[in-house]
Amino acid sequence: MRIVVAGTTLAALASAPASAFAVDYLTLEQAAQLMFPDADRLDAREIALDAAQLQSLDAQGLRGRSARWTVRVARRGDATLGFVVADAVIGKFELISYAVGIDVEGAIRQVEILSYRESHGGEIRLPAWRRQFVGKTQAAALRVGDDIANISGATLSCTHVTEGVRRILAIVALARRNGSLGP
Amino acid sequence: MSAHRVVRRARPLLGTLVEVGATASACACLEEAIDAVDAAFERVAALQQRLSRFVASSAIGRFNAAPASTCVAIDCETRIVLAAAATLRDATDDAFDVTLGSGARAWHVDARGLHKLAKQVQIDLGGIAKGYAVDCAVATLEAHGIGGGWVNAGGDLRAFGSLAVPIDLRDEIEGGVRRFATIEDGAFATSRRDAAPGALRHASVAAPRCLWADALTKVVVHTADPRHPLLARFGARAWLHARPVASG
Repeated sequence: MRIVVAGTTLAALASAPASAFAVDYLTLEQAAQLMFPDADRLDAREIALDAAQLQSLDAQGLRGRSARWTVRVARRGDATLGFVVADAVIGKFELISYAVGIDVEGAIRQVEILSYRESHGGEIRLPAWRRQFVGKTQAAALRVGDDIANISGATLSCTHVTEGVRRILAIVALARRNGSLGP
Repeated sequence: MSAHRVVRRARPLLGTLVEVGATASACACLEEAIDAVDAAFERVAALQQRLSRFVASSAIGRFNAAPASTCVAIDCETRIVLAAAATLRDATDDAFDVTLGSGARAWHVDARGLHKLAKQVQIDLGGIAKGYAVDCAVATLEAHGIGGGWVNAGGDLRAFGSLAVPIDLRDEIEGGVRRFATIEDGAFATSRRDAAPGALRHASVAAPRCLWADALTKVVVHTADPRHPLLARFGARAWLHARPVASG
């Protein structure tokens, strides 16, 4: 074990300004390819939940949050292999985007984190701060030239992601029942 | 350093985000690094099934549901984690308690399995299992021939091989991070404890293995002693952090 502590004193550390932290793991297309390697294309389908469907999600304890969703249908030829849905959730300091792969049986194939952003001073809740990442893909870490840094801290909870995954499962099930995702 | 190509991925596991990084030295190795990362995630997912109290079929789930005087059969991984928990409990006068106050001494492990000595005792390995899972995932990466990388389970991390991994410490009050250290071939974990309103204790431990780094942070935040004698026993070093100063 070799550990080199940065800075001269811990007091100096405490008074240094905090910086933001960002990692891009995968693009949605890369995640979809990992989840469904046999697919030859992804067909994007826009689905819009109506009031009754949003209520039904609420009744299952999965607040609908958004009425409009894009579901990528992974296909090989005419066959449907599964579905991929991307979403983002905000925690105390962090913005996490992730993708859920669902197989044709309606079970989770895989969940992959697409990107992780951590800010300070509540910036994460400012739309302007979040917008600067729109369209960012691989290798866009904020701390340039230092793309292997890791965060340590009190354990991060991923409750928001877990809830989001359950919500997406329910939404895809709804959309399949009403035929929005094709046969 | 700049020659590294790193496969870096994250998945929600163990109730947190688990990140795995693996270096791929050449283009041909990229596929192998991706396979190794997948295998590391699978190892963590399998451990979650075995060690989680939320999985009814796990040894811990069965122990928690069982009446007193039951002996639950345990797998090798559960045995390792419980043995470490017992060592820490005994060395800290029960302060390290995987029963979270429901009966620190109301369980014990022997050759037959895990014995439940009182009806109300419940085990939760949340304070130690993440570190162990990190160690196991690192072993999986090494077994796949990865020369350098890391595994980070929501802040409890271990770096291995030919890679010096910079560690940023989260500001627990304001959010954001500050560079704290660089670690090579070792583990680092951080914990906080809100002893009373406004009395945040915040500590990190570096140790050769993540199981001990993870568990010993709890001992350090509990005792507020960054020179606790247990640290030397496991080759560990601790820091009690000053309360971060709010920055503009």
